[in-house]
Amino acid sequence: MNAAIRAEKDLADPDLKDVACVLAGDVAAFEGIVRRWQGPMVNMAWRYCRDRSRAEEMAQEAFLRAWLGLAHWRQESSFSTWLFALAANVYRSELKRFPTEMLPLDAAPEPAGPASQHSELAAKLSRETVRSAVLALPLRYREPVVLFYFHEMDVAAAAATLALPVGTLKARLSRARALLRQRFPRLEEECVSMEAAVIERGKEAVN
Amino acid sequence: MNQLKTIRTRQTGQSARIDAEIEAILAGEEELLPSSGFLSVVMARIEQEAAAPPPVPFPWKLAVPGILMAAGVFGWGTIELIRLDLLTPASLEFTLPPLSSAVIGQIEQAGWVAVALGVSLLSWLLARRLAGRGGLL
Repeated sequence: MNAAIRAEKDLADPDLKDVACVLAGDVAAFEGIVRRWQGPMVNMAWRYCRDRSRAEEMAQEAFLRAWLGLAHWRQESSFSTWLFALAANVYRSELKRFPTEMLPLDAAPEPAGPASQHSELAAKLSRETVRSAVLALPLRYREPVVLFYFHEMDVAAAAATLALPVGTLKARLSRARALLRQRFPRLEEECVSMEAAVIERGKEAVN
Repeated sequence: MNQLKTIRTRQTGQSARIDAEIEAILAGEEELLPSSGFLSVVMARIEQEAAAPPPVPFPWKLAVPGILMAAGVFGWGTIELIRLDLLTPASLEFTLPPLSSAVIGQIEQAGWVAVALGVSLLSWLLARRLAGRGGLL
């Protein structure tokens, strides 16, 4: 790439601008990067462990590693792709060192039929059970699911974060869905009945 | 046949609906906001890391010649011993002067103490030589 075009691009992209400043020795310039990416990094960590304080600790560690590794970033991909890939590695190794205590997938309870007066709570619990069940999936299926939904269902972005071919990621997503489907065979009808109950309660409240 | 097809279609439809429900649940997750002190904690850690002295690299330039020399001396010594026929079992035999067993025991213990002290001294000297320039010793 032409050096002038590259320099112009660097100035236009706030991340590249901050990276250049950090590499020039300005530690405080990293604050801009943390400010812009703290939300996504904490959210990504949260989806890995579903523990708020641990998610923040893991995100801190990821930022520290990013700062230490900035000099080795070859700018072959976008800054966000590099940062998310690094974070995924950090989160994965952190969870290997100190695994979250999860029930095995078979032990995750399928939501029972809700009592009408607690429909909203039951619906919320049902959703949370499904989200927790994702963490009980084997790691090779868990990460694609976590990253696919974190990247708002962008297969290419999730594949880039995991450094996997898109086809492999799709296959793992499909297998993960099959496992979840096996675990929650009555999910659809229950969710429909819960939603119907919520709507019914809403109507009652209006009347 | 038609009945089987109907059952299969129904199952596929049900799977698709469950998939859609799971998709809706996982995609509809609320965003988590980092706590107010998160930014300052991260920057404090980074500033602490930046202020720390850089790690001392292993002084290969100093160590490699020493290692090579030691290996050379050891190899040369072994070759010389073999050439002079000093490593044969017969040549390794020696007779002690007549000493009481108590004295022999004490000499043996003193020998081990001397060997331990020698090894400690050598390792300290080596560590000082290797890391001394880094300001650690």
